[in-house]
Amino acid sequence: MATLNMVVNGDPVTVEVTPDTLLVDVLRNQLGLIGTKVGCGEGECGACTVLVDGKAVVSCLYPALKAEGRQVLTIEGLSKGGELDIIQQAFIERAAAQCGFCTPGFIMAVKALLLENPRPAPQEIEAALAGNLCRCTGYYQIKEAVELAVQRLNAQGGQP
Amino acid sequence: MTVQAVGESVERLDILTKVQGQRKYPQDFSMPGMLHAVVVWAANPHARIWRIDTAAARQVPGVVAVLTHEDVPVNEYGINEYDQPVLAGDTVRWMGDRVAVVVAETLPAAQEGRDRVQVEYEPLPVVTDPVAAMAPGATLVQAGRGTNVLKHIRVRHGDIEQGFAAADVIIEGRYHTPFVEHAYLQPEAALGYIDEQGRITLIVAAQWPHDDIRQIAHALALSEDQVREIVPAVGGAFGGREDISLQILVALAVQHTRRPVKMVWTREESIRGHGKRHPFTMRHRWGATREGKLTAVEIEAILDAGAYASSSIPVLQNAVSFLAGPYAVPNASLDGYAVLTNNAVTMAMRGFGSTQPPVGYELQMDKLAEALHMDPVELRMRNLLAEGSMAVTGNRMPAGTAVRETLRAAAEAAGWRQVGGAWQRPELESPASSCRKRGLGVACAYKNVGYSFGFPDRSTASVELNLDASGAIALATVRCAAVDVGQGSQTALAQIAAQTLGIDVDRVRVAMIDTAAMPSAGSSSASRHTFMSGQAVLRACREALSKRDAALRQETGVARVAASAVYEGREARHTSPYDPETGQCEPHISYTYGTQIALVDVDVETGEVDVIRLYAATDVGRAINPQMCFGQVAGGVHMGVGYALMEEFVQRDGLIKTASFRDYQIPTIADMPRELISTLVEAPDPNGPFGATGLGETPTLPTAPAILNAIHDATGVWISELPATPERVWKALHLSS
Repeated sequence: MATLNMVVNGDPVTVEVTPDTLLVDVLRNQLGLIGTKVGCGEGECGACTVLVDGKAVVSCLYPALKAEGRQVLTIEGLSKGGELDIIQQAFIERAAAQCGFCTPGFIMAVKALLLENPRPAPQEIEAALAGNLCRCTGYYQIKEAVELAVQRLNAQGGQP
Repeated sequence: MTVQAVGESVERLDILTKVQGQRKYPQDFSMPGMLHAVVVWAANPHARIWRIDTAAARQVPGVVAVLTHEDVPVNEYGINEYDQPVLAGDTVRWMGDRVAVVVAETLPAAQEGRDRVQVEYEPLPVVTDPVAAMAPGATLVQAGRGTNVLKHIRVRHGDIEQGFAAADVIIEGRYHTPFVEHAYLQPEAALGYIDEQGRITLIVAAQWPHDDIRQIAHALALSEDQVREIVPAVGGAFGGREDISLQILVALAVQHTRRPVKMVWTREESIRGHGKRHPFTMRHRWGATREGKLTAVEIEAILDAGAYASSSIPVLQNAVSFLAGPYAVPNASLDGYAVLTNNAVTMAMRGFGSTQPPVGYELQMDKLAEALHMDPVELRMRNLLAEGSMAVTGNRMPAGTAVRETLRAAAEAAGWRQVGGAWQRPELESPASSCRKRGLGVACAYKNVGYSFGFPDRSTASVELNLDASGAIALATVRCAAVDVGQGSQTALAQIAAQTLGIDVDRVRVAMIDTAAMPSAGSSSASRHTFMSGQAVLRACREALSKRDAALRQETGVARVAASAVYEGREARHTSPYDPETGQCEPHISYTYGTQIALVDVDVETGEVDVIRLYAATDVGRAINPQMCFGQVAGGVHMGVGYALMEEFVQRDGLIKTASFRDYQIPTIADMPRELISTLVEAPDPNGPFGATGLGETPTLPTAPAILNAIHDATGVWISELPATPERVWKALHLSS
């Protein structure tokens, strides 16, 4: 057992883990943050995407101990004060979720994209989301939601 | 007060919690003191089991129980017939058979126990080719049946000899479609426990929870009221959750240990453990006159049913009724066979036997158009079914037969024009690169809404109205066991309720599905809930309104009224089984239609197919929620594109070669048509609520044949076997004589 200290959604967290513990298991099983989903367990589907120090990672492959001292952001952290993130609001308005199992992973992948590049071109949106699988929507409404979020973000002139 | 709820793109009831990550799926539930269970899978696709040794597994610290066939009270299940063992005892017949369940205090202990269960097998000959499996003397998959042919259905309509004699041209073709994986993103999971009334209760994703409890109760030798299913959010289904997956295993573990038990399948287990879409091998022979009128159609279709019956007979029934396409065919001879093999069990998947036939009938149509030098839209227009036309099953097509409207809408969107009374295609621009060739392809398709061939279809719903002091409706709660697997049916039902009650949608709640709290509404399949459950909700709401009005007339000060209703499909149309000799019958309650036109570029150097634009015209009867309708069309096209170009569940000698998402690839955002131009065709179904018909399946059906026809239009080669991978297209371009 080893002690892991990290900051999750703004709160300092200390948990006991083994060297082979994965970040997704800490989030879901030890911290109760069930918004992060496991769709494949091998980094192919992106449902488990979270941000570590602002970068998107697939938490089903990410060793928990690697998060030592880092900032982890999950879907639960996006609307922490009760106010929706601009991306979440856009997903609602464009009906960009059907079964919803892939949705948190998509939203976190978009979050990472917009943190790095607040004005992505359509091809950059596609490239950033090509690692996230959705079986329900055909992706068009997801793409529209991202475009709406980008438009609003830039109208505000702010960072995501 | 005028309220407009139907026809508006209202916000999905469940979307706020979905974008917040708060909506719970079965794997998100836990209980104090719960045990973890894992499956010991068959290690061979076909083998005798001589011995199952669980002693070493039981000694693993933390292992509480190792359950085998000896622990199952009635060791059989199946959606259509009880031919699958819950836990295999003497024979395994596919890689998805389960041999034991290990239950332990922790997941690692359960997994270690699983690895220590020893099973001694004697391999048996593996049956993988359904055509060979039909031959006399073939190894039997299920010895007790005496044959591998699960079912043969024949249709004899008109006079086939005369039909071919009257033909000026005869077109033949052979087509093959692959096994397809549902690939819903949420792997199978369940939490089981004993509830406060002593019922074995499962929190699980299901498409027909009441049918699940029928099968669970049967296997556990319990009555149905001793078993309960609660269905929280479901992470996609597409037919793949219509059969039992892990429900009986978890219920058995709860029955045995009397403790809460959780089981979560990995992606590999999901791909291994649930069935697939049926592969079809189809042989077509069509005759037509010089003017393009069909005179005769002869088709044989062989379906690989896999190791157990599952839904193969109903899928075959459906398929045969659609084999000749949405065309008026005066003379037809159709034969369909469902054949057992040691391949994966095949089951319901989006289309239920209507997805494979268009790969045959729509390529036949384009081959015929080419032979007659006729425009493919014009040829179809001359043959399409209309209200009152006779189908190959001898029935007359009902009001709302809108296939012609979908073809017209798609063709006009894609640039077709009527010139001198005949449809004429648009000119295409040449692609920028010289190694690319561009083509346009058309495909029409149709399928049933609701259950068919005399199988009774009924849905039930109840509504409870909370009234304010003035008697106005403050809140309406709808209870209906129609599972929302992601398609948005609960939102559509809430819109139907709101419209009927004359209130805003935000005053309607839809209760979570619990078999202990509501009767069956039938399955989330056959594109049926908007139609069937929509009617049940509409009627329950009307009944509640009249109760409210009666109560108000008496000034009773009543604050709550409730009503329930049943809707039976036979109110719309009585259906009947196939006549065993002629196949003539009244097959379906209702139909729905779609046409798609694909604009593709084919790279002749690499064989890659790039879908530039897809025009989709879809019959919805009435769009209850246009934004959600678009979502169904787009999702259907996604599966159609995967079917056309990428997806194939591969097995060799019964062993799985595409065991994970690394090997079984579904389209990503970058694989979709660059543009999707969707038209919703609103030709009311007189029996649907507010004229609505089903939508969940049709958008998948025309995509693949439209793309195959476009590949031919671009390059001149026919791809008759799905998927049209770059390798297959390249070979057709460069190696064909």
